[in-house]
Amino acid sequence: MSARDTLLSRFRDNFDWVLFVTASALAMIGVINLYSATSVARAPLNEVYLQQIYWLVGGGLFSAFVASVDYRHYERYGYFLYGFGIVTLVLVFILGREVNGSSRWIYLGPIGFQPSEFVKIFLVLALAKYVNTDARAEGRTLKDLIAPTLIAALPAALIALQPDLGTALILGLIFLSILSMLRIQRRTVGQLGFLAAIAIPTFMSFGMLGFQQKRIEAWLDPDKDIAGINWDPHHSRIAIGAGKTWGAGFMQGTQNQFRFLHEQHSDFPFPVFAEDWGFAGALLLLAIYLLLVLWSIHIASSAKDRFGAALAIGSGSLIFWHAIFNLGMVTGLLPIVGVTLPLFSYGGSSGLTVMIAIALLMNVSMRRSSLSTITFAR
Amino acid sequence: MSVLVPRSDVAEFRKRYKWMSLFVLALFSAVAVRLFQLQILGGDDYAAMAHENIVRRVTIQTARGILRDSQGKILASSRTSYDVYIAPMKVLPSALPQRNHRGNRIADAPDSLPKVAEVLRMTPDERERLSIRIREACASYDGRDKGSPCGRQILIREDVSRDIISELEQHRNELAGVEVVPTPIRFYPYKHLASHLLGYISELDVDALAKYRPDGYESLPTDEKERVNPLGYDRRDRWGAGGVERAWESHLRGKRGWEKRVVDAWGKYRTGPAAERLLDAPQKQEPLPGRNLRLSVDVELTQTIEKSMIPYRSGAVVVTETRTGRLLALYSKPNFDPNDLSGGGGRAKAREAFTRLYADPYRPMLDKTMSGAYPPGSTFKPFSALAALDSHSLNPDATQRCDGFIRYGSKTKPLRCTHVHGSVNMHAAISQSCNIFFFKLAEATTLDPIAKVASAFGLGQRSGLSLNPEASGRIPSRAWYTLRHSANYFHKGFTLNAAIGQGDVTVTPLQLAMAYAAIANGGTLYEPQAVVAIETADGVPMQEFESRLKNKIAIQPDHLQRLHNALRDVINSDEGTANAIHDRTLDVAGKTGTAQPGFHPNPNEDAKIQWFRSRNHAWFAAFYPSHAPEISIVVLVEHGESGPQHAAPVAMQVIREYQRLKATRASKPKP
Repeated sequence: MSARDTLLSRFRDNFDWVLFVTASALAMIGVINLYSATSVARAPLNEVYLQQIYWLVGGGLFSAFVASVDYRHYERYGYFLYGFGIVTLVLVFILGREVNGSSRWIYLGPIGFQPSEFVKIFLVLALAKYVNTDARAEGRTLKDLIAPTLIAALPAALIALQPDLGTALILGLIFLSILSMLRIQRRTVGQLGFLAAIAIPTFMSFGMLGFQQKRIEAWLDPDKDIAGINWDPHHSRIAIGAGKTWGAGFMQGTQNQFRFLHEQHSDFPFPVFAEDWGFAGALLLLAIYLLLVLWSIHIASSAKDRFGAALAIGSGSLIFWHAIFNLGMVTGLLPIVGVTLPLFSYGGSSGLTVMIAIALLMNVSMRRSSLSTITFAR
Repeated sequence: MSVLVPRSDVAEFRKRYKWMSLFVLALFSAVAVRLFQLQILGGDDYAAMAHENIVRRVTIQTARGILRDSQGKILASSRTSYDVYIAPMKVLPSALPQRNHRGNRIADAPDSLPKVAEVLRMTPDERERLSIRIREACASYDGRDKGSPCGRQILIREDVSRDIISELEQHRNELAGVEVVPTPIRFYPYKHLASHLLGYISELDVDALAKYRPDGYESLPTDEKERVNPLGYDRRDRWGAGGVERAWESHLRGKRGWEKRVVDAWGKYRTGPAAERLLDAPQKQEPLPGRNLRLSVDVELTQTIEKSMIPYRSGAVVVTETRTGRLLALYSKPNFDPNDLSGGGGRAKAREAFTRLYADPYRPMLDKTMSGAYPPGSTFKPFSALAALDSHSLNPDATQRCDGFIRYGSKTKPLRCTHVHGSVNMHAAISQSCNIFFFKLAEATTLDPIAKVASAFGLGQRSGLSLNPEASGRIPSRAWYTLRHSANYFHKGFTLNAAIGQGDVTVTPLQLAMAYAAIANGGTLYEPQAVVAIETADGVPMQEFESRLKNKIAIQPDHLQRLHNALRDVINSDEGTANAIHDRTLDVAGKTGTAQPGFHPNPNEDAKIQWFRSRNHAWFAAFYPSHAPEISIVVLVEHGESGPQHAAPVAMQVIREYQRLKATRASKPKP
């Protein structure tokens, strides 16, 4: 049997339409929403929706490639890619360009990218690889968790130093999500909880920088300094609320059209959507994200091996935590932590990262069935 | 493919997926609940906030009412002042940090500040200070902070000349960030003339603002705002601060209107049908323009007063119509240019003018016609005479002997008269102003009847004009001395002094003018009146004010006749004190006065000023024509030394001008 036949038949029989349709729907609604969001912005921002289409097409092609290569190849190169990611993170400190007080970008000629975005994928791969080889019948103790914790802590610490607490937090949550798949002794869970109870307040008092603390304070007192630090959360809430049940209609939301929403293409596209389409539209969008995340759990549950399952959970959690944090911060449930809304926010690196995550889900999904016997038969 | 590792066991994970799914569902539900809270429960509130964000009430300015004189000449109106503002970030882009918060370069335009400095003719020092100020304001600008001082306009020049405006216009392309804002400024075309009567306007002080805009004012409902601040005063507003401008503020001010405009987050107006659809009714409230006022004063007459008063440093002149109480002139010297105080030429100029005016020893900010009380001297004698006639305390035809002095008791100093009058009756005592006769009159009449008559003529009481703070003056009575001192304090000397308008007697020139008008018209005391009508913009009267009677004094006709004759002879008789100003063509009756000012030396004061303040006040009070009086006039030359020599000629020139104006205006149709 030729490789071509296998690929085609695998595509025909195992293509995950649910995943594809949900992701495509989000991307399309995202482009339409970006059009509305940036319709009043000045050049070059008003062409962001076009750029997003280019990224989706380019990223889609790359994702097709990522999806078509058997994921177990990635397992083999898992640690290597992880190491590469760590190197790029270190490079950020050397070559990085400072934006808004933190170094996140590396420029290769005219194209800038954020290594911290891709590191999320590399971390998922590395953790999945670790989980794959670390099967146990007994529950794990604290000692057993040291190695995976270090795997996650290294990039998270480097990113937190940029400083980019939002991304570091996402890395931590991806790690916890994969960790939650594992069998852990009850006593160890208690110990972990105790450690967290000490570590989190300590970090919040001593580890956070001035602007990070200010954001927390602003979140706790949302009516203070609306002209300054609370501008974005305040107007975001107004825009969402003003959408009421059915919304103002496409490109009719006044708060966006009258430029009260800033960062409406990157961190705040959801308020634009919620104002245009109301509670009905927002709920529909929420349902699509829910479906995507639940589907990724479903993919994990039907994966044939530990690596595939962990890969699916890792990729799914990446999408999940991004969505929850972004929606939480724009609705005022969480403080402002510059996290994008997957497939909805404009952003090359973050968009591509999410597309790769979906490609990995597709990859696992397509190789879950009995076809695997065909694939690996010699 | 053999390189691939064998399949691992996934059994360990199986139990977790259900819990994960529930966890995911729970968090998404939390977001959904929050959306329900924001959009369904809070939807109306947030929609209202959204509406408030984009719809702004834009103030429509109103015009302050115009003041016109009796002939329709404009005394106060508004003109446009052109103020120059700059936007720091646009004028001096090189002061900005190179990149904004997203790392993009902030627009890199050339500095226009050098050109601004050149056109506005700034001194190098001024320019340096401005550029330091801009650099400080912009040092921390990151491209998005709307409250940054870098984005806030700075006022750099007020009331610039038309030449500079046209130059700014011409170089507009090189002057990025410069804005010329027209603002209305009160304009007084006659400058100093009648400045105390007109007053001026100035910015509301802190106390007034606290009264009209108490804490939390902004959040009050509209009708409550209306109650607290009916005239809609705002920060930096100007209001009338003296004279007619203050007293008639509520009529002159007008009321601002507003218009709802659709505005975006950057303060830019949006127009077109899409934007207008967002406006809710009512969309506009038209402004109410201020009322125009017609004053009773006559500019031309006041100009003559000003000319006649040129030789003197300080004084007051009041001219009033005897049959209405309307003021034809209200003049106080020295005066001020209200243009300087009302913002024309800028705040710095106003501050400087205030400093100068308040430091002046001749007190230009004091309205001497009503805010200053002075001993009236001999101009008071007619009231003493009337009191004597009323109480029949003295035979007016009987003569008294004047030896030039009189002695009461051996221990006291003799009281002096101006000169030896010989035998004088009341008529001669008035026309020749004999003090000795009036001492004897006072002895016979006693204090209280004199005080009663003087008070009936409005002396020692506020006239009710209240354009400026009114001094009440003082007409002492026995009760007053008892209250002020003690029952045993009183002695005859007070009565003697009072009868000749000295001692504790003080009056304002305005009171005296109204009292002489009452003598002239046979006993009708009017309230002085400066504003005669409220007019529309075209000069059509909307509301005219009747003259207001203050008191009707019963004077017996033969007493009045006696008094008029005596006052006529002050000028017309060869022996009259004001015979020097006699003019056969003008039928004037009046009374001179030379009053001792009650001077207390002040060692801190300049010797020249002290000498000035030690001199007597020169008075002349008159009415004209004496047989059918139309006007009464009071001239006070403060520390002018001699009433007949200094005050009477001024009055005569004013009367002559009055007669001339009357004649010329009678031959021309009224405008």
